[in-house]
Amino acid sequence: MMRVTVGSSNYAALTGLQSNASRLAALQAQLSSGDQITKPSDDPAGTVRALQLRADVKQNTQYASSASDAIAWMSTSDAAYSQVVTLAQQARTLAVQGLNSGASTGTSASAIADQIDAIKTSMVSLANTTYNGRPVFGGTTAGDAAYQLNADGSVSYIGDGVDPGTGAADPAFGGVVNRTVGSQNTVQINQVGTQVFGDEGSATNMFAVLNDISANLRSGNYTALSGDLGKMDTAIEQVSGAQATEGAAYQRVQIAQSVQASNKLSLQTELSGIQDIDLADMAVKVSTAQVSYQASLQTTASIQQMSLLNFLN
Amino acid sequence: MSTFSGIQQAATSLAASQYGLQVVSQNIANASTPGYTRQSVDLASVDPVGGVPRRYTVGGGPGGVTVTGTSRLNDAVIDARARTEHSRSALADTTAAQLSQIEDIFPEPSDTGLAEQLSTFWSDWAKVANDPTSAAPRTVLLQDGATVASTLNSMSQSLSDVGAAAAQSLGNDLDEANTAASSLAALNTQIRLAHNTGVSDNSLLDQRDVLLDKLSQLVGGVATINADGTATVKVGTDASGAGGVTYVDGTTDTAQTLSDDPTSGYAISALDPSTGTTTAITLSGGSAAGSFTTLTSTLPGVQNQLDAVATALATAVNGAQANGYDVAGNAGTDMFSVPTSTGPGSIAAGIQVVMTDPNLVAASGLQQLDGSGNPIPNKDGSNALGASQLGTASGSADNVYASLIGAVAASSKLAQQGQATQDAVTSSVDALRQSASGVNLDEEVTNMLTLQHAYQASSRVLSTMNDLLDTLINHTGVG
Repeated sequence: MMRVTVGSSNYAALTGLQSNASRLAALQAQLSSGDQITKPSDDPAGTVRALQLRADVKQNTQYASSASDAIAWMSTSDAAYSQVVTLAQQARTLAVQGLNSGASTGTSASAIADQIDAIKTSMVSLANTTYNGRPVFGGTTAGDAAYQLNADGSVSYIGDGVDPGTGAADPAFGGVVNRTVGSQNTVQINQVGTQVFGDEGSATNMFAVLNDISANLRSGNYTALSGDLGKMDTAIEQVSGAQATEGAAYQRVQIAQSVQASNKLSLQTELSGIQDIDLADMAVKVSTAQVSYQASLQTTASIQQMSLLNFLN
Repeated sequence: MSTFSGIQQAATSLAASQYGLQVVSQNIANASTPGYTRQSVDLASVDPVGGVPRRYTVGGGPGGVTVTGTSRLNDAVIDARARTEHSRSALADTTAAQLSQIEDIFPEPSDTGLAEQLSTFWSDWAKVANDPTSAAPRTVLLQDGATVASTLNSMSQSLSDVGAAAAQSLGNDLDEANTAASSLAALNTQIRLAHNTGVSDNSLLDQRDVLLDKLSQLVGGVATINADGTATVKVGTDASGAGGVTYVDGTTDTAQTLSDDPTSGYAISALDPSTGTTTAITLSGGSAAGSFTTLTSTLPGVQNQLDAVATALATAVNGAQANGYDVAGNAGTDMFSVPTSTGPGSIAAGIQVVMTDPNLVAASGLQQLDGSGNPIPNKDGSNALGASQLGTASGSADNVYASLIGAVAASSKLAQQGQATQDAVTSSVDALRQSASGVNLDEEVTNMLTLQHAYQASSRVLSTMNDLLDTLINHTGVG
């Protein structure tokens, strides 16, 4: 039989009390912080996973912010596209009017030409639509405009992303505005001016066509004017084509947004599963620990009082 | 057989009971003295009948009882085992405590830890990419970069502080062990003297065991108890992995001096004061061994990993800067500077943001030159967008940091589990030791009652004897 001594029973009582108290303290630390992991060694694997998940959540938040920025940019440019098409169709209608009233006086033809010129000016201002101070059709230019209206009435592209040799858009010259809206999901949200209004120097460049119509109206060259109608159709198609391309990008961003929303939910659910305590479970554990601590306190107090001396006179 | 031998017998019994009560009193008095070993009286009966007149033999008389000694009721095997387990326990406690201090430097996962700061920093790059020439996101990026750098600086500093504290406690442990060792050497002399002269040396032996316990907790080692009660202590292993040094010599009553050398990797050596020779040793147990391992392996490991985080961050960001162009269109320059390593932790301690002008952040990945070859600014953000993805690349600062956290957490958890297991073992050995050599008050009270009754009975014998002699002397033949 093992002898029980003053030292050993004190020691055993103390050890028991301390282990109960420290269990209670650890549970209370978790309960009061609401964290299942109060320090990395509570759950090494969980900590590393939580770090990864937190980085993912942060990344996802950044994707969401980039996506809203992309949507805002593309909404701005989309409104511009629609107005450009409306204006271009007005110009075409005016040109047809000019053709039909070919026999009428030159005065009315020049009035129509004036209207065409006004449309061109509005079109230039539409082409210089800005989002957050940046011309949406100017590529990555540091300037604040994509097109400039020259003194001779011609309009030239002053943004970047265009090969000066061919006058056509070329990413080698920059001009690409990208937003990363998801993992491995980078969307180009802009169209360089020449992709919308036609290559510089091309006969179907929107501004060149408008200038042509205006000039032909004034000069009464109706043969050339009827040819301009075809050019205008090509120019309008180009604008619609660019709008459609950007529409597709818009859709990609929207899909990315819904992916982000569901990712956010699943990431946070998983993170919460690792990091956060189950309140009900924790409350039960804490009260169990409290009960056992109280019990050990009580038994220690009552046992420590016992001695043979109590029963001798 | 003498007429009065009965009286003599009763007298020895009274004396023995009295001495027994003294021992009981000593046991009760020391019930909670640390290191006290309970004692018991060794009694032997003296044969009352026989041809030899016992009154002439040493310590004897005409029958009765004689006290042959006072036993110290310890169990040498359990004592030795307790020392071993306490040495392991001290090692486990120190290791766990120091790892926990290291762990506290990395409060993860949290909203303010380095991992979160790094994520924010990468996110800042994406914000710069979305609005490449605006000053606000660039300024925020630089500030968050500086926050990351200063967090790395202070983490490195805190690790050095843990190291300084561990070095301090290693030094203190060795000093304390040296004091205990020289006390033990002096005690050995007294124990031998007491043993040779036959004086009771139980309290000296208790002191010896207390010192041995202390030494095993501080520096580990193995104690051997010699036949005369003196102790010899050997600590550590030498360079060949065997032997170690005789720290306290039980035959010459000398002690060696242990010291560590902070300038050469905290190497521990023992100096023999009599010969002046030093022996390099490796301690295998005790709190000193725990601090030594922290200083020489655990801490430098963590510091090197933190350096790797700083290096990965600086390399990745400066690499991205080098590929891009700033607001003015000039090639990017370094954002972080890291010093050349001068030891574990030095890179993390010295990393800083050297870029002061937010316009120097190389957000653009596009170089445009005018006709005369001068750079033209642009609003391209592709380089910044690329940089915003650097945190997820393999070998990124984030990944290195996550593996650092994983490693620190795992070793701290392991140390805590080791500590808990060792605690259980040590407790059970302590209980065994207490059970063998501790004082049980009930038992002492029972002994006291027994001795009290024995004393009363002997008194009764004496008074009966007195009556008999009274009858014989005063009432016989007076007539």
